[in-house]
Amino acid sequence: MNQDEFSKFYKDNLDKVFRFIYFRVDKTETAQDITSQVFLKYWQTNGEAREKIKNPQAFVYQIARNQIIDFYRRQKTKVVSLDELAEQGIEIPQTSFAFKIELSLEMENLKKAIQRLKPEYSEIIIWHYIDNLSTKEIAAILNKKENNIRVLLHRALESLKKECNTLS
Amino acid sequence: MTEKELLTKLKEFQGIKPNSDWANWLLNNILSQKKEQVSIKPRVTWASFSFLRHYQKVLIPSFFIFIFASTFVFAQNTLPGNPLYAVKTFTQNARIVLAPKDYKPVIRLQIAKSRLEDMAKVSDQEKEIALMSQNIKKDLATVPQELKAISKKQVALKVSQQVQQKTQEISNIVQQTNLENKDKDELEQTVQETQNQVLALIIQTTEEINQCPSFLQTNLNNLQQYFTDNINFLASWPADDITKIKVYIADISNDMKAGNCLEAMEKMESINQIIKIHSLDVQVENLAPTPESNSGSGGSTPESSD
Repeated sequence: MNQDEFSKFYKDNLDKVFRFIYFRVDKTETAQDITSQVFLKYWQTNGEAREKIKNPQAFVYQIARNQIIDFYRRQKTKVVSLDELAEQGIEIPQTSFAFKIELSLEMENLKKAIQRLKPEYSEIIIWHYIDNLSTKEIAAILNKKENNIRVLLHRALESLKKECNTLS
Repeated sequence: MTEKELLTKLKEFQGIKPNSDWANWLLNNILSQKKEQVSIKPRVTWASFSFLRHYQKVLIPSFFIFIFASTFVFAQNTLPGNPLYAVKTFTQNARIVLAPKDYKPVIRLQIAKSRLEDMAKVSDQEKEIALMSQNIKKDLATVPQELKAISKKQVALKVSQQVQQKTQEISNIVQQTNLENKDKDELEQTVQETQNQVLALIIQTTEEINQCPSFLQTNLNNLQQYFTDNINFLASWPADDITKIKVYIADISNDMKAGNCLEAMEKMESINQIIKIHSLDVQVENLAPTPESNSGSGGSTPESSD
């Protein structure tokens, strides 16, 4: 994969990967950090090995899942976030790329409901209903049969409805 | 919220996108990074032995067992004078103790032979060798007693023949040892005495086997006579012993019918043992004639010869 091919792949998948991470980590800055790590790791993957990757999208999502797990693992030992520091009156220099995603109260509740789901349910909701990945694509990412994905989707949606009703 | 409303709301999340400036900056930044820094191939790392801590409870006893076993194995190749020779001697004694009772004499002589071979390989260590020589003499003296204690006549004959062969081998090795002439002669004499006793046992056992039927018949007749003469005395016997004797007699009858004379003889000896227990040794000895007496040549019973 040369630079042009990588650039195309990056542009096609950046938004989806970012959203996938954003719904799992809550903070925009964290989502940015993890997204950059995901694409950097993919770019730095050994060229020969990268050529053998049959499904680059599934590979990138797998890197993302691992990075999120690593993030929460580190959180257990390092609990002080930038926001917490800001709340304590410590001034954090804003980078030129810092931005905050503003959501309506209704959408914020829906986001919270997604985050309260089991990880496998929230992942599948994001992929299928937000990022329009087909059941076939999700099956390839999770290495499961399509029928299993359909069952999982049904259960995930039912679970999300319950969470929404609870929050409202 | 209905499912349709929920799905519509979820679609609205598609509007969430990263800052375009940040996206461009990230792309340029990534492309400027050196490629192929990360490999998905498994990394080869030095083995860590930290896992050993998890197996501590097993490893420590295993280590000691290994050391213990290695010492025993190593000790088997040592000679007198070596500190580990005591371990070898201990192992050999354990072999004698653990050997089946009937084959103990053969094992004892096998080990005596091995010790003599060790003695022949060392020229110094006089004190050690003299002590070993004494122990071998004791072993040789024990062998005839152990042979007499074998109850099955055919086994006793087979083991006695093996013992005879071993004593001959021992006799040959004694000459090769570095013992003083006096000690060598004493040991040679002990071997000779053992050989004579074993030979006598072989002859006696062979005769008993060959003349078994008539010998047994005489024993039965004398037993009948004994019980007739001591009918009043039998009243003081425990009922269990009388029952045992009855069972033995029934078994002897069956063995005789089946042609198993030697097995019947063993049971007859068990009866004689019970009678002995009741302090009637003299009568029992008188009761049990030898094969020679049975054939008119005179002699002692198997019990009285003990």
